[in-house]
Amino acid sequence: MGHSRLKFLGMVGLALMLLAACGSSPAPASKTYKIGLVTDTGGLNDKSFNHLADVGLEKAKTDFKVQGDVVESHSGDDYVPNLTHFATLNYDLVIGVGFLMATAVGTVSGQFPNIHFAIIDGAGTDANGVDLKHPNVQSLYFSEQDAGAMVGVIAGMLEKEGKSKKTQHVISAVGGISIPPVNHYIAGYKWAATMEDPSIKVLVGYSNDFTDPAKCKNVANNQISAKSDILFQVAGGCGLGVLQAAGQAGVYSIGVDADQKDSDPSVIASALKKVDVATYTAIKNVVNGQFTAGALTFNIANDGAGYALDNITLPADIQTELDNVKAKIKAGTLTPPSDIPA
Amino acid sequence: MPSTVRHAAGGMAVPIGSVVFAFLVGGVIVAATGGDPLSAYAGLLCGGFGLACANGENTALQLSTTIVFFIPLIMTGVAVALPFRAGLFNIGAEGQLLAGSVACTVIGVKFNTLPAPILLPMVLVGGALAGALWAGIAGVLKATIGAHEVVTTIMLNYVAQWLVRFLIVGGPLQLPHGFSVSSPIGAGARLPTFLPNDNSLIIFGLPAGVYRVHTGLLIALAALAVFAFLLWRTSLGYEIRAVGQSQRAARYAGINVPRTIIVTMLIAGAFSGLAGAIQIAGVDHNLSDKFFNDTTGFDAIAVALLGLGSAVGILLASILFGALHAGGSVMQADAGISSSLVQVLQALILFSIAANFLRVLGGRFRRRPAAPASQAPGAALMTEAAKAPPGDGQT
Amino acid sequence: MTFLSDIAHLLITADLWRATLEAAALLLLPALGGVISERSGVVNIAMEGMMLTGAFFAVVADLALHNPWLAALVGIAAGGFMALIHAVVSIRFRADQIVSGIAINIFAAGMTLFLVNRIYGLQDIGHVGQSNLLPYVNIPILDQIPFVGRVLFQQNVVVYAALILLVLVNIVLFRTRLGLRIRAVGEHPQAADTAGINVYAIRYGAVITSGLLSGLAGAFLAIGISNTFVPNMTDGRGYIALAAMIFGKWRPFGAFIACLIFGFGQAIYDANSVIHVSQYLLSMLPYVLTLIVLAGIVGRSIPPASDGIPYSPGTE
Repeated sequence: MGHSRLKFLGMVGLALMLLAACGSSPAPASKTYKIGLVTDTGGLNDKSFNHLADVGLEKAKTDFKVQGDVVESHSGDDYVPNLTHFATLNYDLVIGVGFLMATAVGTVSGQFPNIHFAIIDGAGTDANGVDLKHPNVQSLYFSEQDAGAMVGVIAGMLEKEGKSKKTQHVISAVGGISIPPVNHYIAGYKWAATMEDPSIKVLVGYSNDFTDPAKCKNVANNQISAKSDILFQVAGGCGLGVLQAAGQAGVYSIGVDADQKDSDPSVIASALKKVDVATYTAIKNVVNGQFTAGALTFNIANDGAGYALDNITLPADIQTELDNVKAKIKAGTLTPPSDIPA
Repeated sequence: MPSTVRHAAGGMAVPIGSVVFAFLVGGVIVAATGGDPLSAYAGLLCGGFGLACANGENTALQLSTTIVFFIPLIMTGVAVALPFRAGLFNIGAEGQLLAGSVACTVIGVKFNTLPAPILLPMVLVGGALAGALWAGIAGVLKATIGAHEVVTTIMLNYVAQWLVRFLIVGGPLQLPHGFSVSSPIGAGARLPTFLPNDNSLIIFGLPAGVYRVHTGLLIALAALAVFAFLLWRTSLGYEIRAVGQSQRAARYAGINVPRTIIVTMLIAGAFSGLAGAIQIAGVDHNLSDKFFNDTTGFDAIAVALLGLGSAVGILLASILFGALHAGGSVMQADAGISSSLVQVLQALILFSIAANFLRVLGGRFRRRPAAPASQAPGAALMTEAAKAPPGDGQT
Repeated sequence: MTFLSDIAHLLITADLWRATLEAAALLLLPALGGVISERSGVVNIAMEGMMLTGAFFAVVADLALHNPWLAALVGIAAGGFMALIHAVVSIRFRADQIVSGIAINIFAAGMTLFLVNRIYGLQDIGHVGQSNLLPYVNIPILDQIPFVGRVLFQQNVVVYAALILLVLVNIVLFRTRLGLRIRAVGEHPQAADTAGINVYAIRYGAVITSGLLSGLAGAFLAIGISNTFVPNMTDGRGYIALAAMIFGKWRPFGAFIACLIFGFGQAIYDANSVIHVSQYLLSMLPYVLTLIVLAGIVGRSIPPASDGIPYSPGTE
């Protein structure tokens, strides 16, 4: 295709846009915004936050004039080159997914002060883990403990009222790796369940893996042997094995990050961490010229974290309690802890 | 036994042909799944070598990324190639690399106030020693009781991986208030980069800090020279090759086979450990979760095989694999083709090197077995190792 | 001390041993495949790739056909197809068998990921419904035996299959003419050829069998233990199986013992919800254990004499 023809098409397009712009307010930007998304080593098919980030990008592509490009990182060595790649090509926003990219975002954002960066679950840090507070970096944090608390209320109430399958006053959580984003969920879960049913015992196990369902399934089976009635998975793709183990043993399970209703009939609820909403919001802000540096926290108050009810019909009083706790967390009268209570 | 020089000169046709073959088949796979092979390969070429860039990628930046990627491949490639010559299969380069990076981090953090002239040699030597120790376990077990090095090095890989995770996730090396990463090593433990890490200095249109090529490159090239010299110009090299040819013959020739096995593994481990130390000292400056998923030591097996076990071959193979690694990302960003294609291409290159399709298709195939030792150094090594003591344990 | 009492308490639970056997069976299948292949003289380090391919295609097939048995067959065939590549490259083209094996592993990892990305794109691959999984089958009467019933007779159908195959492979290798031929080809191919044995046919058969077994293991992992495909879900099990094979001195029961050690280590680790010790140190357990056992008890591992040497008639 020749240059002249491209130019011609471009001019026609510009003319059409100008026409469209007349009369409608606010005027749609004539510029195509370029958004670069860098996944961590989990990749796009991680059934977890990388996937959700891409969902947010796709939604932004349909709503705004956005060109979205994605690069998967195969190893930690790829973070800096992948972020740099988008930065050198003058992308309007470069999004790093996951706290593992914190130092990479810190480094690259310092080299390209004119490029906007966003990072999920972290900040742009130096090698000491200190937030560099670069004016071109937005940190997208989540109060996972809010979501964990909501499903914890459900689990605790079911146990207290004897409405779980076996009611042995033991529930559990399977974490991927013992890292903050995982432990925040478990902290809220344990805290809320204990609040509702003080006699409850909460087992916590780790699979040390985010991808292999077989490993999580075995950890879950151990918890079921130890009389767990309700299992909360906090291990991404690995955790699918938890849901399956619960289904096979005839107990309840709780999904994580996305709504995992369809993964297994045993899933009664999901703790939601709306990475897609965060990604979309970050892009929207750039498109609207409202980029702000610093932390943006997604929690239950701004609907960036929450829960979904899945394959269960809750008794009315549990729903009431859920609404009650949700309102209190929103109002700030209840604050779920971010560290797992002893 | 052909010399490295003849390998390098005469043997080039097969590797080059294999690469071409792999790209043809890879192109078919891309096309068959609805992609555009030409734009995919343009992305690879751009990402790997900064050539034919569609979106104005920076050539110097792409080249520097490729170099950063291939430095550890050279070192670990040598760590696999040397034992191959002795008939040993070192699957453990990864574990040895991890041991080296752990040692480098421990020393670099503990003594972080020492000046570079003291601390830098300390972390590099420490890394090499740790790698040597890690490989040495496998070497000693092999030489004394005959435990197969494939099993022991695989086990040692896992132990090293879990050790890294133990150390940095809640363990003694974890950065206070951080997670999944260690504290950074001291400034004196860092290998300098060729260009200053100064963001106000613009070179080739970008801040100088983006070009991360570090002086570890010189160490890697020196390691290649040491490898070639050791193998072909020293009596130890002769012994290693003799053991690789036939342990029994080597024993009759008066070579201390167990000692040669142990020394070979120690040296190999030192190369790998140094690779790990260089990675910390030159690029990362701390031990992080990425080392848990690192695959350098496994890619090194492919590099050693593709490089036909020669120094020049390892260099070229490392450059190719480094360029593919760097290119994959750009390919995905520019052409939307999953960078997993890179692995497919690497596998196809290996297949075609191994099978020597070209020679067969070219009709120059003679009905005799391709001499394994000269064709690819991995061949027959399981057997050579096996022929050790007659009548022992086998039924 | 809590650690020791935790462990002691764990050792008397049937579920621990049940999990051990299940994990061991998953490793046993590719290990048996490795034994057969290497006994015939073809080094096989590609079980990892064959398993992964089997897992991927089993899930794809199960989602399309809604039949776990057909899906398992597809997984088995996919593993067999990868083995066929290994066989052609290493037997017909006399390639270096280690290079070919490494290539298979890299190829499988890259290709499955590439296909997931190209075929499913953003969509989830999907989950196989409970009724379409390879079932867990309780053996009537026997499953009621206290402890033993839970450990041995409440297992997945593939676990039973693996145990039967273990006995079968052992009998075939050491008690039948076919086994004698396989071993002859692996030890002295020239002599075997002279005696009228078709060396190529035996080697092709052995390598492909190893792929079929690895493919079955992949299917077991993906649509028996799990219900979906996750990139790289085999997670190094093929390499562990390789280690188990060598550890077991290229003998089926020897390999099984090694698989039990690994399975036991995994099962202990998976109980970390109730054991109080660093999970990471716990994770090292099976590998350290293997090293110690190797160093102390097993000793020298010697493969079949012609393992790894491409055969061509008329040499020597």
